[in-house]
Parts: sequence; structure tokens; C-alpha cells
Amino acid sequence: MALLSVRNLKVALPVNADRAFAVKDISFDLAPGEILCIVGESGSGKSLTAAAIMRLLPRSVTIAGGSIELEGRDLASLTEADMRTWRGHRLAMIFQEPMTALNPLMRAGAQIEEILEVHTDLSAAARRERVLELMRAVNLPTPELLRDAYPFRLSGGQRQRVMIAMALALDPALLIADEPTTALDVTTQKQILALIKQIQRRRNMGVLFITHDFGVVAEIADRVAVMQHGEIVEIGCTADVLNAPRHPYTQKLIAAVPRLEPRKTVTDTSPLLTARRVAKTFRTGGGLFTKKRVVPAVKDVDLTIGAGETLGVVGESGSGKSTLGRLLIRLIAADGGEVSFGGADLLNASAARLRALRPQVQMIFQDPYASLNPRRKVGQIIADGMLAHGMPQGNAFARASELLGLVGLDAGAMDRYPHEFSGGQRQRIGIARALALNPKLLIADEPVSALDVSVQAQVLDLLNDIRRRFNLSMLFITHDLRVAAQVSDRIAVMRLGEIVETGPTEQIFLRPQHPYTMELLDAVPGKTWIAPTVFARA
Amino acid sequence: MHGARDFWKRFSRNKGAVVGLAILVLVLATAIFGPLLFPTSPWEMTGAPFQRPFDPEFPLGTDTLGRDVLSGIVHGARVSLLIGFVATLVAVIVGVILGALAGYYGGIIDDLLMRFTEFFQTIPSFVFAVVLVAIFTPSIASIVAAIAIVSWPAVARLVRGEFLTLRTREFVQASVVLGQPARHIIFVEILPNAVSPIIVAGSLMVATAILTESSLSFLGLGDPNLMSWGFMIGAARTVIRTAWWMSFFPGLAILLTVLALNLVGEGLNDALNPRLSREGR
Repeated sequence: MALLSVRNLKVALPVNADRAFAVKDISFDLAPGEILCIVGESGSGKSLTAAAIMRLLPRSVTIAGGSIELEGRDLASLTEADMRTWRGHRLAMIFQEPMTALNPLMRAGAQIEEILEVHTDLSAAARRERVLELMRAVNLPTPELLRDAYPFRLSGGQRQRVMIAMALALDPALLIADEPTTALDVTTQKQILALIKQIQRRRNMGVLFITHDFGVVAEIADRVAVMQHGEIVEIGCTADVLNAPRHPYTQKLIAAVPRLEPRKTVTDTSPLLTARRVAKTFRTGGGLFTKKRVVPAVKDVDLTIGAGETLGVVGESGSGKSTLGRLLIRLIAADGGEVSFGGADLLNASAARLRALRPQVQMIFQDPYASLNPRRKVGQIIADGMLAHGMPQGNAFARASELLGLVGLDAGAMDRYPHEFSGGQRQRIGIARALALNPKLLIADEPVSALDVSVQAQVLDLLNDIRRRFNLSMLFITHDLRVAAQVSDRIAVMRLGEIVETGPTEQIFLRPQHPYTMELLDAVPGKTWIAPTVFARA
Repeated sequence: MHGARDFWKRFSRNKGAVVGLAILVLVLATAIFGPLLFPTSPWEMTGAPFQRPFDPEFPLGTDTLGRDVLSGIVHGARVSLLIGFVATLVAVIVGVILGALAGYYGGIIDDLLMRFTEFFQTIPSFVFAVVLVAIFTPSIASIVAAIAIVSWPAVARLVRGEFLTLRTREFVQASVVLGQPARHIIFVEILPNAVSPIIVAGSLMVATAILTESSLSFLGLGDPNLMSWGFMIGAARTVIRTAWWMSFFPGLAILLTVLALNLVGEGLNDALNPRLSREGR
């Protein structure tokens, strides 16, 4: 018998939403001891499906039809009090952001213990024992010490382990995991995925795993359901769906997943930018009563970018890769070092000289929602740079409209405000703005990491096309090795402010030298899965 | 543009704000057109002193010297609103400029400007205003100046805070990378995004300015040539037990105007920061 059985589930959105149903008519079963992944892009209804099962929907969103049965019992028939007991005992949930899901003012151990206190009648001593046991089960190091630590002292991975320990506290039959590794670094993600799988096998638990990442699906799922616009378009065995997708939407998504194979690279070009011993240390505090905090973000980094070359900078959060990009473009003042760019010294140029150099180095930002001024029209945003450098108004706007065409938007976009565009379209606007000044070098700081996979592929294609057409050099900062493999001619691997290894993309992927590079490559989710490129007709 | 209609919809959802706006419009109309209906000077002795209110000739009675209380209130509206709005405008301009410079440049400029701001903030504001007006001799200009001088530090702090957060936003960094001059970044990129809290703070500040002006006039530090609500209350305070109406009606005028401004300020806050206010209730 199925552990969880969802039949014709319909979830209605409030009247003024952009569509009537977030989830329409989905049905699926989850067997005990099985991991089912629901995969989809943002807005596909996958998270609301999870919330509907937990009966944790926002007040304005309601279940409009269908049934959800857990172990043969219709969850809708339970009273709120019964449901509270079931949550924890029979089904539990872990969330994307472990920092916000934990109470910052409660010690980690106390948060786990609280669940036992509410749901069981164990004695205080037994509870403490059980907390330690749970913390050991999720492989937290030194449980005796971490029990008394506040969440801010824990790393992201440790917090997620605490969340998992809380979810497991009452031995639920079903665990719902809503993007539990999305906020984590890739090496931590690997450990958490392994942990979930290990615990699931040991306890024969059913896991409903929500994700947007096909790599994660390949890593963990037994079966996979693909959602689009609130419907399940394809469901089946992981191997079948990933290697021989039948539905056109699944095929499109899988085709958009960057292949983990290094691209043919351009090398041996004359250097355009050479950085020597660039360093930056952040200092905070140091007041009368506070201790000074010193964080070396970038330590004496050397790098070269050739003309027409793309250098990928990969690393985990806190590796200093974004800081490095901002140092090179002088958004942050460096502590020391020099950057020679086409003969000019970027780091030590005077304000006037820097202003003249600015057009040649431009930047593309990560967050398409924060990188465009909400109060200005798209035309103004793109034309601004040209106007600042003395182009007459008429020419600037004519060029802006041309650039919009170049990045695949129609000229009607000129008079609209940024909020009228989707994330992918906004990123195109950001690219048009960067291109407006005919730069020689683009610094792209995680330009696709906020985008859905299909949009991500389009934006990467656009960047590739532009790069070739204008012979642009690019510094491409990313945490995603798949993306790096696609776009980079050479790759620099950063860790803790240092470049630990640099070389042609092929060499980094096939013959990594540094242990950390190997560790990163090993942690890429679904690395053994080679996404198909040819699909059967639907 | 549909933005204006949206704005009105959110504003009018707050019923208090609509009532406040209605009162404010009434007070404004009185300030603009009232003196046309009461062309004689409010200082003129038009009737017998101590006339009780609700009399057909003097609906709100007369004061100790036989001056029409209603005429005084009508003429006083002009002074109160004028001082309230002009003083706030000056305070907002000074506060925005200093706050923007401090927030945008940070570092030593920020330190210097903020220490300067704190210097003003450490002096109790009303006492400071009294001292300033006393030194510069009471006149409408010195009162406006005094109120502006004690009010701008709050605006500067607010604007500085907004600039500190907005400065790190990516669209501002994009502007820097494009080589925009600081002037453009401050006034075109950042300031329009900081306007909503400034408007809300400004509307509440008008109310405070009107109260301060009334208090100054009450103490006899008002412009001696202009009839004002505070002066009327001050002049009538000795006879409050025998002739309540002389201080009651000007007091009511102050109360309603300040209340209206506060309600409108709250409504603006709801309309300009829809997300914040919705979470609040």
C-alpha cells in the first residue's frame, strides 16, 4: 500500500492572482522507503503541493478539491489538533533556509528537545539522551558541545542537520524536504543529500523531495515527477525520466541543463588584463568596546584574462570570488596590488582617469530584481551610461533601442519600468546596459544563478553569442561548475581568498591537480548522469 | 497613469486618513479664502469684550478687548499652515542634503556630519527654538528658521539610513561602474527610491512645526504683527475660568489640524509602504 497517496489535488489561489489554480488535478503515490522528487521551475506549484500535504498553506490559498491520504487516512478529515499530532509523528518537513527556520534565540539542542517535550511524555533525562542520539544520527560533530550552541554559531550545513534532527525526532513515516540544499554550498549539499539518503534507507522512510535541480534529482531520487504550471506532466522512474524524457517540457528542461563537459577553448591570446598580488581585507568594529574583526577576503591574487577569453572563477560562498570581481572593477578599493588593463593601471588610476576607463570594463550583476532601478524606465537605464559619457540624447536612445533588439527584447520595452519584466528579461536588460558602452571586458557576477534552468540556458546562449560577436573578454564568477564548464576557456578555483588552481577548462575538469578542485568536482550533484541530447518524439 | 489610482485606493483604505485629508483641505481652504470673508484685521476691536459664543454676530464670541475670535482663528490658520509647511520644507531640504552626503560618502564625511547632527539633537528642541527666536527677535522669518533648525536632524538621520542601505544595492553599483558622477547617483538613482519615508516623515513634521509655532506664540514669542492660534490662547489664559471660549476654539483648531496631519501621514505611510503596513495589522 502507498504511504502517501495524492488524488486529483487542486489548490486554489486568491482571486487576484495571475492564475486560478496553483496546483490543478495532480495525483501521485509515494511508497514507504521511496524517494520521490518533484522537480519544476519557479511558479510550477511544487512548494504549494508540499505545503498542502502538511496543511501549512497560506491563509489566502485553499485546497479546492481532491484528497491527500497518508497511511490510508484522509488528512483533510483530521481536526487541527489531530493534524498537529500527525505533524512530527507521521509526517515532518525541512525547509530551504535553515537560518530562518531555526529560532535564533534558542540553543540548537533546546530546539530539538522542544519537539520531544510537546509531543512525548519522556522524562527530562530521557529527552536529553534522545537529543544527543538524534544529533549523532545526523552526523553532527561533538553533539555535547553543539547542543548548547546558538544557531548563528553553526554553519549552514550544521543548521540543516539540526533541522533534519528535529524532523526525525518522532520517527515520522514521511519526510517532506522543500529545496533543503538550495541555500548550501555544493560540498555541503553533497553531504546533506548523502545524509538524507542514509537516514531514509535506515528507517525505511518515505521522502518527498522538492527541487529545481536535475543534478540533485539524479543524485537522490528513486522516482521523479516533473511539474509545470501546476500539473504533473511526466512521472516515472528516475533513470527513465532523466535519460529518455517523453514530455516536450521535460525534454526542454533537460536540454537546458548545462552539460558537465568542458567546452572547446580559445587559448594563447594576448593578455588584456593582468592582476598582480591584489588583496583586500575587511575590517569591522574596532570601536572603543568592540573587538576588531578582520576578514581577509582576497589574499594576493594573481590572474590574467586574455583578449576574447572567458575566465571562469569558481568557488563556494565566502571564497572571495565576488569580492575579487568588485576589486578588479574598482567597486571596492583594494588594499594593495596592481591591475594592468590594456596598459593602464586600473587600481591606482585617478578619479578622472578611472572615469575615462570605466566604459571599457562593465559588469553584469547577480540579482535581476535588485540591479535595475525600479523608478526608472528601461530606455533611461540603458541610455544612462552613454549620456554620462557625452553621447547626444537622440543617439543614445536610438542605440538603446538597438541594444534591446540585440538582447532579444522589442523596442517597446524602452518606455516600461523594470517591474513589468520577468527575471530573465531583466537580466537581458542588464546585459544591454553593460554593452551600451562597448566594453572590452565584462565582469559577470553569478549572472544566471537567480534564474530558472530554461531561462538560464537562454541567457548563457545570449552571453556566448555576444562574446563571440564583439570579441569580448569575460570574467565569469559562478558557484556552479556545470555553468563554468559551459562558458569558460580557463578556470580559476578559489578557496578562502586564494586561487588554488588555474588552468584550461578541460584540464581542470579532466586532470585536476589540487585536492580542493577534486573535492568540488566530486560534489557536483548528478555528476555521473550525462544528460541526453537527443530525444524521442513525444 | 494607473499608479495614481492605485495610490488613492491604498490611501483611502485607511478611513482615518480620508477624514484627516478632508479636515486638512478645509483648513487649507480657510487659510486661503478665509481672509476674503473676514476682510477686517483680526486685531480690530469689532464688538464689546467678553461676548459669549453662538451669537449671530460673533459665532465664537469676542475676546478681552472685543476682537472677533472667529476672525482670529481664520487669519491664524494662514500663519499656522504657512509656518508649518515652510519650516518643514526648509528642514527637509537641509536634512536630505546632509543625510544624503553622509550616507553616500560614509567614512570621515559621515562621521563629521553625524557629530554635527548630534550636536543639534542633544539640545532639547523646544528650549532651543525659544532661545533662537529670543535672540533673533520674534518675526515670521525667525520662527520659521528656528523650527527648521530644530527639525532637520531627524530628517538627516532618516535619509542617511535610507542611503546606507540603498547605496549597496546593485543598481547603484551598476551606476558607479557606468562612470556616473556622484551627483547623478545621489539625486537620480538613490533619492527617488528614498522619497516615500521622507514624505511620511515630512507630513508628521508639519504637525510638530504647527505645535511648536503655537507654543512659541503662547509664550509671547510669535510674530507681533500676525494673529496666531497660540497667541490667542496665550492672551486668554488669564481669563480661562470666566471666558472659556477665547482659548477653547483656537485650541480646537490646533487639535484638529495636528490630528488631520497625523492621520494623513499615517495614510501616506500605508499607501507608500503597502507591504509594511499590511503586515502590521
